Amino acid sequence: MTSSIIAQVRNLSVQYGTKHVLSDISTSIVQSEIRVILGASGCGKTTLLKAMVGLLKPVAGSIRLFDTEINDQDDPATVEVLKKVGVLFQNCALLGSLTIEDNISLPLQMHTDLPLQVIKEIVSYKLAQVKLTDAGPLLPSELSGGMRKRAALARALVLDPPLLFCDEPSAGLDPVTAAGLDRLLITLRESLGITIVVVTHELHSIESIADNISFLYDGSLFFEGPFTEARKLTGGPVYDFFTRQESNQPLHDETRQDHFVETYQ
Amino acid sequence: MAFQEKTISLPSALDREWVEKTFGPLEGFNGGDLILDFSQTMRIDSAALCAIRILDKMYKDRGRKLVLRNIAASFLSTLGAAPEPAPAVSKEDFSFHGPLIRAGDRLIAAKETIVHALSVLVEMIYWGTLGILKKQDFRRGILGEQMFQLGYKALGIVALLSFLIGMVLALQAAIQLKTFGAGVFLGPLIGITMVREMGPLLTAIILAGRTGSATTAEIGTMGVGEELDALKTMGINPIQFVVVPKFWAISLTMPVLSICGTVAGIIGGWCIGIFYLDLSSSLYWGQLWQYLFFRDVVAGFIKSVIFSWLIIWIGAFYGFRVRGGAEGVGRETTASVVACIFIIIIADALFSFVI
Repeated sequence: MTSSIIAQVRNLSVQYGTKHVLSDISTSIVQSEIRVILGASGCGKTTLLKAMVGLLKPVAGSIRLFDTEINDQDDPATVEVLKKVGVLFQNCALLGSLTIEDNISLPLQMHTDLPLQVIKEIVSYKLAQVKLTDAGPLLPSELSGGMRKRAALARALVLDPPLLFCDEPSAGLDPVTAAGLDRLLITLRESLGITIVVVTHELHSIESIADNISFLYDGSLFFEGPFTEARKLTGGPVYDFFTRQESNQPLHDETRQDHFVETYQ
Repeated sequence: MAFQEKTISLPSALDREWVEKTFGPLEGFNGGDLILDFSQTMRIDSAALCAIRILDKMYKDRGRKLVLRNIAASFLSTLGAAPEPAPAVSKEDFSFHGPLIRAGDRLIAAKETIVHALSVLVEMIYWGTLGILKKQDFRRGILGEQMFQLGYKALGIVALLSFLIGMVLALQAAIQLKTFGAGVFLGPLIGITMVREMGPLLTAIILAGRTGSATTAEIGTMGVGEELDALKTMGINPIQFVVVPKFWAISLTMPVLSICGTVAGIIGGWCIGIFYLDLSSSLYWGQLWQYLFFRDVVAGFIKSVIFSWLIIWIGAFYGFRVRGGAEGVGRETTASVVACIFIIIIADALFSFVI
């Protein structure tokens, strides 16, 4: 059985000013896959995610979601595709002036002509799905970090998007809440067939949810493949990552230590 | 002449206090090699570690040697393993081409600022007018909410300040008019001044401080909190969602506020006319209606509408420029108010020649 490709990245390069953040990244994500993008802090994971949803303009390469090229946010085709995409931001990005209910109903109000009664029902259902039944009338500032994260997930899921991007969903959460969020992602994939792209460096999360991983190292795609294959590696940055070892530092530090030892002892 | 080497016996705790006391003299030591004896040393902190590294480099540059005698292997490895700090690279180019490059950079930055400002203006006008037919990215009831916030809540301050300015203007004018026995012209003087100039200008300045700054701060905070990015990924246009309701709200409420301010100012002038110049009320209003023409009212109205667009445009432009967290929000909000008042006064001066 061949799965259809939902997201395709080709030769993507992104720069911040003159600094290269991503170089020549190519990957494809198929339907119902849970792909985890991982790597050390600052390796370009969030940048890749932002570029994939059109928030960052690449200097080279292309991104296609649902077979449509992602361009500027003013491009009507891009806007249409984005309606099929949910994004959970690292810091939730809930609109601070709106209640949780209004935040979650926003995409429905903007993109559908559903009656208000139905919108309210959908919002309640989504809140129940993320176990936040009583939080509807509250403002985001009145919720804890974990609750905000779940509210943001409810908003990302409110249009039942076939593709969901999550930027560090379990960062800053206690292990129980984080595991609950992971279970929710797996349930969503199993029940609705959603394709999920998760950026994280939480080992527990990766182990419990990942089908395939894309390991970024210094802005380049260092390894891509099934999670089980990644665990079989016995050396290099991927192995170091999974065994919680610091990668070998650049040589000049060793040289400096040698210099002190040679000079003074 | 051979330099004399110097040996220093280090204390048991090589810490910040030791660095504070000793670094200066050691740095200034102009003799031969420096020997630091670690035999007593039991503890070393970051300040001491960095100081020794600096001394090592400094002595090497002078062609001397820093000798670490009796140093424990653990201290030596700590000294050696600490990462080399990144060299401080000056971005300033002081060569012959430096000023040219800097001028070029500023020119490019200015061009980018103008392009960005114009793109915000065009998008605001497009999504506020023709774009609404295509797509309506704003919430139900938001226009009324914004009109209440931007208009109704500013009414009190606009009316009060305009009343006071009307009184002050009338008082200053009355002193001169009384000298020439021309007190009867107070009504037209205050009326025309308030209708054509002070009413719209004063309202605009108050709203620049109130609405312009609020717009910048709101958009800036949304940008910092990734809320604008969230809107984009939901397929919602941030300009239409955030700016367009404010654009319409201020366009509709500013002329009304301007009229209220103008009326308050004229009433302020009337108070001075009645109580200072002993004018009759009918004379004040009669003279005012005689010399105030419809074109003056139209001029004031056009000004107030244009000023409202300037306020929201500049407020939004600075809001989208915000970078770097809370400090960035504060910086751009201040800049927005200053720019807003500056441009409004320039626009007012230009209008005075045109209409």
